[in-house]
Amino acid sequence: MLAQVLLSGIATGCVYGLVALSFVLVFKATETVSFMQGELLMLGAFAAVLLVEGGGWPVWLALPAAVLVLFAIGALLEGGVLRRALGQPHLTAVLLTFGLGLMLRGGVTMVPAATHQMHRLELPLAGVLSLGPLQLAGEHLAVVLATALACASLAAFFRFTRAGVALRACSEDARVAALMGISPTRMHTLAWALGAALAGFAGVLLAPVTLVHPGMGLIALKAFPAAVIGGLSSLPGALAGGVLVGVFEALTGLYLPDGAKDLAVYGLMLAVLLLFPRGLGGRGAAA
Amino acid sequence: MIRGLAGLALFALAVAGGGWGHALAQVALVATWALAGLGLVLVVGQTGQLSLGHGAMLALGAYVQAGLVAAGLPALLALPVAAAAGAALGLLASLPGRRLGGLAFGMSTLAFALIVEELLVRLAPWTGGAAGQVVPAFTVGPWRLSSPVAQAALSVAVLTLAWLACRRLIGSALGRAWRASRDNEAAAMAIGVDVGAVRQAAFVAGGALGALAGALSAHWLGYLSPEQFGLGLSFELLMMVFVGGVRTPSGALLGGVVMVALPQLIAIARGALPVLGGGAAGLEVLLFGAVLVVIVLARPAGLAGDGR
Repeated sequence: MLAQVLLSGIATGCVYGLVALSFVLVFKATETVSFMQGELLMLGAFAAVLLVEGGGWPVWLALPAAVLVLFAIGALLEGGVLRRALGQPHLTAVLLTFGLGLMLRGGVTMVPAATHQMHRLELPLAGVLSLGPLQLAGEHLAVVLATALACASLAAFFRFTRAGVALRACSEDARVAALMGISPTRMHTLAWALGAALAGFAGVLLAPVTLVHPGMGLIALKAFPAAVIGGLSSLPGALAGGVLVGVFEALTGLYLPDGAKDLAVYGLMLAVLLLFPRGLGGRGAAA
Repeated sequence: MIRGLAGLALFALAVAGGGWGHALAQVALVATWALAGLGLVLVVGQTGQLSLGHGAMLALGAYVQAGLVAAGLPALLALPVAAAAGAALGLLASLPGRRLGGLAFGMSTLAFALIVEELLVRLAPWTGGAAGQVVPAFTVGPWRLSSPVAQAALSVAVLTLAWLACRRLIGSALGRAWRASRDNEAAAMAIGVDVGAVRQAAFVAGGALGALAGALSAHWLGYLSPEQFGLGLSFELLMMVFVGGVRTPSGALLGGVVMVALPQLIAIARGALPVLGGGAAGLEVLLFGAVLVVIVLARPAGLAGDGR
């Protein structure tokens, strides 16, 4: 029993962690807290559902395609709207993401097919894996594996590619990076596109586990504490924070009375903030 | 001048659309929203703190007012008690600000609001729990304020008093200390401003104003349930003051007008264009987002601000 709960907690935590990762990635590169990551997650899940149910694509092709679509949407939103906030007070961009999030959610809600029926993505590897006495759900294992894969490729991107190193340089000191010949606007685009793709990836992973509906972006309210717990400036910290939140939530759901689960996460966040104001993985200035 | 005319035009439209009673009920709603917005103007606009949990202040005000009136206290006497409770809650919510700054503090107010909402559900014997409770009408002596005229008059009167108090606070030494700690924390400390205490004072005032708004709206709606005061409300209030202009009291009023007028305009548009029919709920959210994006891009200081 405990092992199943733990695995499902880790799987949920991976989704939280991915969304938290997208928060932190955008925050580090653009100094903007994005309030639309949850909506981007929802959009990613819908893109996958649309490709599979509407387009008849095979699942293994639709999932990466949905992530690519979100990458493009992120770049479009940046080019059309968010770029105008460059050089303005931080709050401008924050409010823009909030407004864009509302527009995305409202836009999807207006599509009758999105709200009138329940959507759920069926994975071919759904089923139960038996390891001795343990019964492990296939979807949960898939989520954990996919998250590990995504994080490994993200780490490789930041370490070994020119664009990844440039993005890191830019988030450390944009002016010096510009002197080295890196275009800050292009890095701005890349950061938002990557943030959108990561959130979309989380949505794609969530689509087989829960129902896909326009309000599913609310999960970002759990990912945000995860990012704060992880320190807001540390990518591994965000992922660890997500898994911590997921496991903590699963355990409180198991041992504490009904309803305590939703509050426990925020209690955990408050405790971490008060004991370690810079988060568990944070260094340097407090956020 | 132009704003006044636009307000009059909206009022005339409301009269034409639904009659005098409907239009005056809208005035009461605008005044109540603006009252809540005034609190955020002090906390967010004047002091530069992020509050993601203003809805909790409204919730406490509404429940205290409903409880006291149900227990037999005259509604006019219950109002100051509700405001005091809101001030106390504001003080409580501001405590983490002593240790946390900026975003982390904003998150703590969000957590705070969630905890208050959950408590309202859990403390069912006093609050009616998730099922909610009925609120008696606002009575002053022998008069029951159930007509839209009376409700609008009371809301506008309370708003006017709160407005004058806010103007006075903003112009006082405390107001200058708020803006100093917003614009440059280190410089404010260097000239002897107790930044922590000043920020807490803003939260106390904001909490009292929010609770007043909550108490009035409890009577106007006639019914309370915890879900009215969820995170959505906190975010809507924040959006409202940014659309109106977060730094001045008039921004709260303009934001309130937009909040009340936009859904009504959408309803009118839907009547004229039946094609929109099905996706109306989504359309409202979409338009609110679009209004926010357009205003942030075109008038970063909000409708009340002076352009760029």
